Amino acid sequence: MNFFEKLQKIDRRWIYLILAISIFLPLAFPFNSRTFTTRPTESLYRMIDSFAPPPDTDPVDHNRAFLMSIMHDASTMPELFPMELAVLRHAFERDIKVFTITWIATAAPLIDLAINTVKEEFATREENPKQIISGVHYVNFGFKIPALYLAMILGMGEDIANAIEIDAEGRQLSSLPAMTNIRNYNEMNLVVEFTGSAPGGAWITYARSRFGTNVAVGVTAVSAADVYPQLQTGQLIGMLAGLKGAAEYEKLVEVFAATDREFSREILRAEMDNPKFALTNDNIPYNFKQARIGMNAQSVAHILIIVFILIGNIGYFVQKYKQKQEVQ
Amino acid sequence: MKRTIPLIIVITLCFLFAAHTFIPHKISQDFFDWYLDWVRAIAPFSVVLGIMSMTMNHSARIQRKTPNWHYSIVTLVGLYFTAAAGFIWGTQEGTPYMWIFRNVQMPMGATMFALLAFYIASAAYKAFRARSAEATVLLLAAIVVMFGQVPIGVQMFGEGILDVTQWILDVPNLASKRGIALGVGLGMVATSLRIMLGIERTYLGGGQ
Repeated sequence: MNFFEKLQKIDRRWIYLILAISIFLPLAFPFNSRTFTTRPTESLYRMIDSFAPPPDTDPVDHNRAFLMSIMHDASTMPELFPMELAVLRHAFERDIKVFTITWIATAAPLIDLAINTVKEEFATREENPKQIISGVHYVNFGFKIPALYLAMILGMGEDIANAIEIDAEGRQLSSLPAMTNIRNYNEMNLVVEFTGSAPGGAWITYARSRFGTNVAVGVTAVSAADVYPQLQTGQLIGMLAGLKGAAEYEKLVEVFAATDREFSREILRAEMDNPKFALTNDNIPYNFKQARIGMNAQSVAHILIIVFILIGNIGYFVQKYKQKQEVQ
Repeated sequence: MKRTIPLIIVITLCFLFAAHTFIPHKISQDFFDWYLDWVRAIAPFSVVLGIMSMTMNHSARIQRKTPNWHYSIVTLVGLYFTAAAGFIWGTQEGTPYMWIFRNVQMPMGATMFALLAFYIASAAYKAFRARSAEATVLLLAAIVVMFGQVPIGVQMFGEGILDVTQWILDVPNLASKRGIALGVGLGMVATSLRIMLGIERTYLGGGQ
């Protein structure tokens, strides 16, 4: 058996081992890498940022909010959870009211985990610590029975407090300060759905077409290609595509929301190599840069898979050439 | 009778909901509110039905000792223990329910999804071959998009690769996805019409 035949018949466990090492090392030893943002991510960031209350307004009285629909379980956490952390951080940095909901039982603890993680980071940070309060800065609508999915999406178009009734802590929605001046989709005019399958479907069909609600999605990379038709038509105003989307959003929040600046591509480009926003900067908590660290591992994995494809094809063509020569 | 009554209910409601969508009248809205009340009342029973069905199904497997019946024990213990933990101690941070979620469900779920990367790597090596012109185009597009999706790819080939990747996603990918979506949409409309007109009856189940 020659070298190329051996290459073709290599035990797949070697491939698994090499891949595992190539993923583990960048996660264990983070290095700096550039994060380039894409339009769908920027659109979502800018839409959420536009919901921030003006400087002289009490955030509780502001009549703008957005909803995070968490429609995934723990299996897709590595890609979707960093997105949720980044979006929540954005909301809390800019005093934007945010609501969360799920119709999947196993997603309910994920919402608690995401909110508590970001709250803890805000409460314990050295610079400008902030207490984030349930019912004031955010409301977790909690888990709702899947059979009520459609009824609630449509019901929120009339009256959110009436359609949802109580939050995850059993409080009447109408009694919560965060619901001040928020009645229906006119005020809660953005829904971001985080999901590993059928992204945004019911929200586009019912909330978007009937009430004009803005809809965006955070999806696993494997589902991202399905979403482009809706992005092009404007049915979706933005998209976070896989870990890459999460990394882009993290970067935008780090550069703009955390430093209280408006979005600008010029600033983003100028700050590309600023050590203040680098991954090796220990002042940035791990939870707020985990997607970017993950992208390093993904970089190495992509390169490795491309190398595998090339080696596999070289072996295939050499073997094919030899077989042809033998026949002649 | 067992098929006729459900058929009448389905056809009537299909036309009523279609009418509700296009008629913004108070009667239409009242009808919809009435429907929402019914859904709220009926929905919790579906959870009970689901738990009953799952318990009966797995209990039967255990009793009959069908192949892999041991997994049914794990399923039932997991179901009832997790539910009991939630009912007794609540679902907040620091409770047994959350412990189960963090230490059992999260790592198991993430492990299952992570296995995908290993299968993709192995499949890419063993099966992704430029055997024909179409396969070569697919292979090249895949390589360009993979480079364009990661920071190291942009550092290797410059920002131009971002534009090429975006073009692939925005033009050929979008065109094919839209074609599929239109096909699926037309299929859904046709199936809906068949159900509304009583032509399609397979959802009623087989037999008499």
